[in-house]
Amino acid sequence: MLHEITFTVNGDPYTLAVYSQQTLLKVLREKLGLTGTKIGCENGECGACTVLWDGEPVNSCLVLAVEANGHAIETVEGMSVGGELHPLQKAFIEHNAVQCGFCTPGMLMSAKSLLARNPQPTELEVREALVGNLCRCTGYVRIVDAVLDVAKNQ
Amino acid sequence: MSNLRYVGHAELRSVDGRARVTGEAQYVCDMTLPGMLYAKVLRSPLPHARILTLDLAPALALPGVVAAITHADFVEHGNFGWPVKDDYVLAYQKVRYQGEAIAVVAAETEAAAEAGVEAIRLELAALPVVGDMQAALDENAPRIPPASVKTDGNLGETIILRYGDPEPLLAAAPVVMETSYDLRHQEHAYLETEGALALPEPDGGVTLFANNQSPFINRDIVASVLGLPPQQVRSIQPHIGGTFGGKDDVLYESSAQVAKLALLTGRPVRLIFTRAESMLASYKRQALRVHLRLGSDERGNLQAAQVKMLADSGAYASMTPMAAWRATMHAAGAYRYQAVHVDTQVIYTNNGYSGAFRGFGNTQAAAAVEMAIDELAERLHRDPLEFRLQNCLRQGDRTMTGNLVKHEVGLPACLEWVRDKSGWQQKRARYAAQPADAPRRRGIGVACYFHGCGLGGEGTDFAVSTLKIERDYSITLTSGLTDFGQGSRTVFTLLAAEELGVELARVQMLRPDTRTAIDSGPTVASRASIVGGNAVRVTATKLGQRLRLAAADLCACAPAQIIRAGEQYIGPREEPHSFEEVVDHARALGLQLAAEGRWEIPAVEWDLETGTGKPYFAYVFGAQVAEVEFNSRTGRTKVTGLWAAHDGGTILYPQGAYGQLYGGIAQGVGYALMEGYLFKDGVPQRTDLRSYRVPRAIDLPEIEGTFIETRLNEGPYGAKNLAEPVMVGTAPAIANALFQATGERVRRLPIPPQPRP
Ligand code: FES
Ligand code: FES
Repeated sequence: MLHEITFTVNGDPYTLAVYSQQTLLKVLREKLGLTGTKIGCENGECGACTVLWDGEPVNSCLVLAVEANGHAIETVEGMSVGGELHPLQKAFIEHNAVQCGFCTPGMLMSAKSLLARNPQPTELEVREALVGNLCRCTGYVRIVDAVLDVAKNQ
Repeated sequence: MSNLRYVGHAELRSVDGRARVTGEAQYVCDMTLPGMLYAKVLRSPLPHARILTLDLAPALALPGVVAAITHADFVEHGNFGWPVKDDYVLAYQKVRYQGEAIAVVAAETEAAAEAGVEAIRLELAALPVVGDMQAALDENAPRIPPASVKTDGNLGETIILRYGDPEPLLAAAPVVMETSYDLRHQEHAYLETEGALALPEPDGGVTLFANNQSPFINRDIVASVLGLPPQQVRSIQPHIGGTFGGKDDVLYESSAQVAKLALLTGRPVRLIFTRAESMLASYKRQALRVHLRLGSDERGNLQAAQVKMLADSGAYASMTPMAAWRATMHAAGAYRYQAVHVDTQVIYTNNGYSGAFRGFGNTQAAAAVEMAIDELAERLHRDPLEFRLQNCLRQGDRTMTGNLVKHEVGLPACLEWVRDKSGWQQKRARYAAQPADAPRRRGIGVACYFHGCGLGGEGTDFAVSTLKIERDYSITLTSGLTDFGQGSRTVFTLLAAEELGVELARVQMLRPDTRTAIDSGPTVASRASIVGGNAVRVTATKLGQRLRLAAADLCACAPAQIIRAGEQYIGPREEPHSFEEVVDHARALGLQLAAEGRWEIPAVEWDLETGTGKPYFAYVFGAQVAEVEFNSRTGRTKVTGLWAAHDGGTILYPQGAYGQLYGGIAQGVGYALMEGYLFKDGVPQRTDLRSYRVPRAIDLPEIEGTFIETRLNEGPYGAKNLAEPVMVGTAPAIANALFQATGERVRRLPIPPQPRP
C-alpha cells in the first residue's frame, strides 16, 4: 500500500508516496538518488546505512520510510555546505580515516551526532559511539584520532 | 631522501579522500542505468548433490521476469579457473558447496527476480558430504572435483620443499618440539558486498562495472565463457569497498552471469549480493592443519624443521594451490636452519570454497610456526623474544628454503623495537608472578614473520603503466593494477609527480579500465607498490627525458645541463622555462608526449618436482607484541595493547602505510579471537555479521606501530611491500600472550572462550 509522507532530508522538504514495507534506506538511495548512504547488510549489523533522524543516528535499513513522516533526516550529502567540507570530513581526510570509504558516510553520521551531544568525548566514548559502525579496513585507529581532533579544535 | 618532494612525506593525502567523505564516490551498488534489470541467484541448499532437474520455465512465466540462465548458456558450460580449471560460472551436473550458484534470473524489479528464483524447479539428489580433510583422503570418500580435473581422488595437489635433510639433525637434536595446530576458515567481510553491472554494447560486446580486484583477468574469463574476443569485453572498476583478496573468482562468476543476461536481453543487468549471500557464497581463507617438528641444540640454536600441512581448498581450487605454495615457502618461519622439509597437501572438501585472503597462506603458516617457536622457547626456559633474536634471519643468512638473503634485513631491529616500546621485560616478569587463581590475568607475547615480495614462483610478475600530457598540461596516468582502498592510486600518482618533477595536482590517474589501461596481471600479493610503482617510474622517466630534451633545445644546451626548480626547467644561463613552455616546445619539436613503461620483478625459479629453487627475489620482515587480559569467569580474552614494527623498505606514502598496518592488525585480532567461519558437515554456521563477529571499535586497543626503513635496491625508491604481511604476526602474538596469561596452550585459531569452572 502507498502512503504519502512529508519529511525533510538535509533541510530540503519532500512529499513522497512510499510503500508500507519500504525502508528509509531504499527510499533515500533509490527514490531520492542519495547513494552516499551505503548498504552493507540491510539487517542492522554494519552501520553503513547510518543517517541522522532528528539528530540521532539510526540504521536506515531498520526503519520504515513511513515512520519518517514529519521528521528531519540528515545524510552524508548534507554535511558539506556550498562545497566547504564539514570539519569531520576534513579531519577524516587529514587523518587518513578513509580507506575504501564504504563505512565512511555512516561513520561521519555517528561521529557528528556524538559531538553534538558530547563535544569533548574521551577516546573510549568515541569508540563506544562508533560501536555500531563496522570498518574492515582501518582498524579504527585513524577514525578515532580524527573525531578526537575535531573535538579538540571546536 | 630529503631532496624528494613527495616520496615518504607525512603530509601526503589520499587522492580519493574527498569523493569518499562527501558520498560522491560511486560503488557498483550505487550505479543504476535506464532500463536496468535486477538479477537474483538460485543457490544450492545442499553442500553436495547431483542436479536431477533444473527447469526455468515456471520462472520465465512470471510477470516481470525477463530472462534466466544456467550453465547451458555458456561455452563449455562456463568452465573456468586458474591454475586449476575446475569451477563453473553456474553449477553443472553437481553442486559442491552450500550456496553454489545454479541459475540466475533477470527481472524488472528485485522482487520479481526473487519470485523468479523461487519458481525455478530444482531437484537435487543429496550426495554424502565430505566435511573433513582426513575423511576426504579416505579411498572410499566420494570424489568432489569434476572428472575433467586430474587429481588423486580429493587430493588436489602436493607441494614440497626440500632444503637439506632434517631427519638426522632432528634425530640428533637434544630438544625437539612436535606439535599440531588447527587454523580455521576466515571470512573477508569487506563492508561492500559483491556486485556487478553489465551493459550490452552495440557491437555485440559488453561493458562491465564490477568490484573485482583484477579487471583484466575478469575480462578474459568473461570473454572466454561468452565466446567473445577479449576486446569486446570491457571491464571498468568503480570505487570498491574493500577486497582483502576476496573479490576475484566470485566476481568472475557474477560478472559472466550479468554479462550473459545483458546480451540476452539487450538491457543493463545488475547483481548485488545480500550480506547473507556474500557470506555464504564467497570464498574464504582456507583452513590449514599444520604439524611441526622443530629441533634445537642445548644453547637454543635452531637446527632443522619438518612440517606437514593439509590445506582445505573446499569445493574448488581457486587460489588455494597458490596460497598453499606460499604457506609451504614460509612454513618454518623467518629463522636460520640447516635443513627444512615441508609437505603440503591441497584437499577438496564440501566446506564452501577457499581462495585468496590477506597473507595468502602465510597468515596460517606463520601462526602455526610462531606458536611452535614459543613452545620451544618455553621448553628451553628461554625468553621467547630473546630466543627469536638469537635465531632470526639477518643479512647474509640463508632462509628456510636455503636461499641467501643479500638485501638488508630489518627483522632484528623490528624485534628490538617492539621489545623496547612494549616494556617487554618488566611486563613479562610481572605477569609471570601473577597468582594462578587471579580472576583476571595478563600476558604478553611476541611473534615475528617474513613474507616473500611479489608473486614469487606463483607467476610472471609485471605491470604496465602509461602517461600522457594532455592539451591543458595535465598528465593522465593509467596502471593495469588497481586500488580497492589500499592506496595504490595515491602511490602511483605521487611516483609520477616525483619522477616528472611536477605538482601532484597535475597528475590524474584514471579509474582502471581494460580499454584504456594495459594488462598487468592480477592485483594481488601486495605487489602494487613495487611492481606497479616501478612501472610508473619507468614510464615517467621516459616521458621526463623527452621534456628534458625539449628544455635543452629551448636553452640551447645539453640535456644534462638543465636543472629543475619546482616545475621549472633552468638552463646554464639561468633562464627559467615553465613546464607549459617546455611542453609546448616538445610538441613543436614533434616529440611524443605519451609514454608506456613496463617493469618486471627479477626472475625467480622454483622447481615443483624437486621442491628446490629460489621462491622470491626479496622479503619483508616484521615483529609484533600483543598484551592480553584473560577473564577466567567469562573465559574471554581482551587485547589490551599491540606494538608492531614492519620492515617494508622505504615507505612511499606513510599515511597509507599506517592505515594498512592498523587495518591488517585489526583483521589479525579477529583471526585470533573472534572470527571462525565454521562448517558443520559442509553447512556454514555463521552467515551474518551478528554471529560472525569482526572487530568493532571497542574490541581493539590502541596500536603503536612503526616502519623500520631498510633499502631494497630493486624497489621504487627502495620500497618493498606491506599490505598483506602486516596482519601475519598479530594472531600468533595474541595466542602467545594468552599462553603466558593462562599457562595453557590452545593450538587452534580462532581461540574460543575458555571459561574456568
Ligand atoms: S545496512 Fe543497515 S546496518 Fe548494515
Ligand atoms: S574504510 Fe573500508 S570499511 Fe572502513
